[in-house]
Amino acid sequence: MQHLNEEQLVLHHYHDGDGAAQAEQHLAACADCRAQYETLRRVLTLVDSMPIPERGAEYGEQVWTRLRWKLGSERRRVRRWQAAFAAAAMLAIAFVSGILWHQRTNSVGAGAPASASAPEGGRAHTAAIAAAPETNKPTQILFVVVSDHLDRSERMLLEVANARAGRPLDMSEERAEDLVASNRIYRISAQQRGETRIASLLSDIEPVLLELAHAGSTLSPEKLAALQKRIDSKGLLFKVRVMSAQVDDRETAGAAPKGTNSL
Amino acid sequence: MTDAAAVSRARAGDADAFRTLVDRHSNAVFRVAYRMTGNEHDADDVVQETLLRAYRQLERFEERANFGTWLHRIAINCSLDLLRARGRADKHYGGDPEEAELSGAAKSDAQQDRLLLSAELQTHVKAAMERLSGNERTAFVLRHFEGMPVEEIGKTLGIQVNAAKHTIFRAVRKLRESLEPLVRSKACNT
Repeated sequence: MQHLNEEQLVLHHYHDGDGAAQAEQHLAACADCRAQYETLRRVLTLVDSMPIPERGAEYGEQVWTRLRWKLGSERRRVRRWQAAFAAAAMLAIAFVSGILWHQRTNSVGAGAPASASAPEGGRAHTAAIAAAPETNKPTQILFVVVSDHLDRSERMLLEVANARAGRPLDMSEERAEDLVASNRIYRISAQQRGETRIASLLSDIEPVLLELAHAGSTLSPEKLAALQKRIDSKGLLFKVRVMSAQVDDRETAGAAPKGTNSL
Repeated sequence: MTDAAAVSRARAGDADAFRTLVDRHSNAVFRVAYRMTGNEHDADDVVQETLLRAYRQLERFEERANFGTWLHRIAINCSLDLLRARGRADKHYGGDPEEAELSGAAKSDAQQDRLLLSAELQTHVKAAMERLSGNERTAFVLRHFEGMPVEEIGKTLGIQVNAAKHTIFRAVRKLRESLEPLVRSKACNT
């Protein structure tokens, strides 16, 4: 009687291969192979006890917190492409309409003076282009960039709020300086466009960003505690989140039909 | 809300619906990612990447399919991508293979008694898994834990069916070499 080799035992264990029935018969008749198989089965059962680190019930929430940043940028990227595509399409339509209109007025008024057709064609072209930039209004652009900026700022504030004293903060000065510079520009733009609530929030977070830009990764425990207290007492994270959602809604309302709730 | 309903709403742009799916499946994705990578932090990265890819590919998900199974497949691919990117496809995962080998060697009676402790056994299982090369571990995890057919494992790893089969054999042999003394001693003690 030919014994089952190790590979046949493995195949039998996982119900792979064609010789299942023969293997079964052999195991029923052969005590040696049965013992071998039993050892293999025990080893593989022991492997099932491989420890997997626990991730508590709140793990999904933690994953979502980190994921929504990425989904946010994904959404903005798609929206920018959509806006750019819409603008390009509108311009192309306007351009072609202008040419067609110009040709039509030229052929209809073949005997008329050339100067009479030009303003008509020009008006049609201008009217079409005037409709084009609807998706590209400066305020709409402001919403897109502020939305992105608020996401980045929230992430930084969150890192500071969750940081523990004595542990290095993974934060480069460049990143904080970049945020400060952007914050100033967007705050001024928001003020100029009468977006006072956005401007006010950006004014609130600017001192914190400035402090971080000065300190970089060498934030002392005292300064860290002071910043955390400031973020907490002013409810900055909450305010940034609320504003971020509102700006997103207005951005969406400008880029898509009203009432569309997008990710 | 069922997974299918959540996917449908997430496709329509409902962020909360996608959040529900993240909440529901993150732990399971972490487990498969950890088994594949053998590293806690890598597994966390794989979870993030898996859900991001799933979000991007939501349109491709067939509603009749099982969302959890679909996520598992994405997690396996993400894990493989991560292992390949780190050049760990055919290297040992971690720990000292010599030390791992020693763990399976014959031990004194006192030591064998201690091995009865479940925590100790788990440490040995972990060490035994660390003895496997990247491909061996992947093929074994896919067959043993995920129940994937050998043909599909071959496709996933980009190797022939026979090669996939032999990779699984090698993995099982190594695990047996490391762990057999433990199951024998356990059997003797029980």
